[in-house]
Amino acid sequence: MENMLPQHRQELGWSQQRLADELGVSRQTIISIEKGRYDPSLPVAFRLAAVFQCSIEDLFTPQ
Amino acid sequence: MGDKVIARSRWGQARFGGGTAALLSTSLAIGVLISAGLGGLFVLLTDVERPLLAFAVVVVCTLPVAAALGWAVLVERSTLTGAIDKPEDSIESAWYQKATSGAFGDILLAGGLGAAVFSFTGLEAPIGWILAAVLLFAMLDFAARYLWLKKSAA
Repeated sequence: MENMLPQHRQELGWSQQRLADELGVSRQTIISIEKGRYDPSLPVAFRLAAVFQCSIEDLFTPQ
Repeated sequence: MGDKVIARSRWGQARFGGGTAALLSTSLAIGVLISAGLGGLFVLLTDVERPLLAFAVVVVCTLPVAAALGWAVLVERSTLTGAIDKPEDSIESAWYQKATSGAFGDILLAGGLGAAVFSFTGLEAPIGWILAAVLLFAMLDFAARYLWLKKSAA
């Protein structure tokens, strides 16, 4: 799944560790999501959307 | 009212409300009890020439693992340094699931092949050795799969 996570994260000026702390997951999880190697669970996708104040569709695009 | 600040440390604090010292001493006490129980069982169930020495060897060998087990059961995870809030949502959890399910399939395959070999060749081996071999195979298989997934993600 393609995603806009790095762009949204950089807009906020957050590091991967900061985003991981906000979501309560490991930094490796953020790295893998951003690289498109890991599709997050629905709860994590909702938390990401809440953090970036957008919809899940704005963050993820099915390939 | 502000949020309660959780004091985190390397060894954490106890679920029952005690500090690190209480946690470690209770874990050690549990470890000693388990180890002594195992040592006693070993001496009772086996025919050894020097029971006291055998008891001591079993206690010394099992105490670290037993104490660690006590600590793992009693520690409040959120008081550990670096512990994440939602491990079940992290990729490490997905690696764990993949590694365990893959290892299970390998155990079925290896067990089936092993049973066939033993049946056709008439080989015999002590059941304790066979179970130990299966356990070792499962642990190594899981570790290899987990590390491979971790390395692939790097």
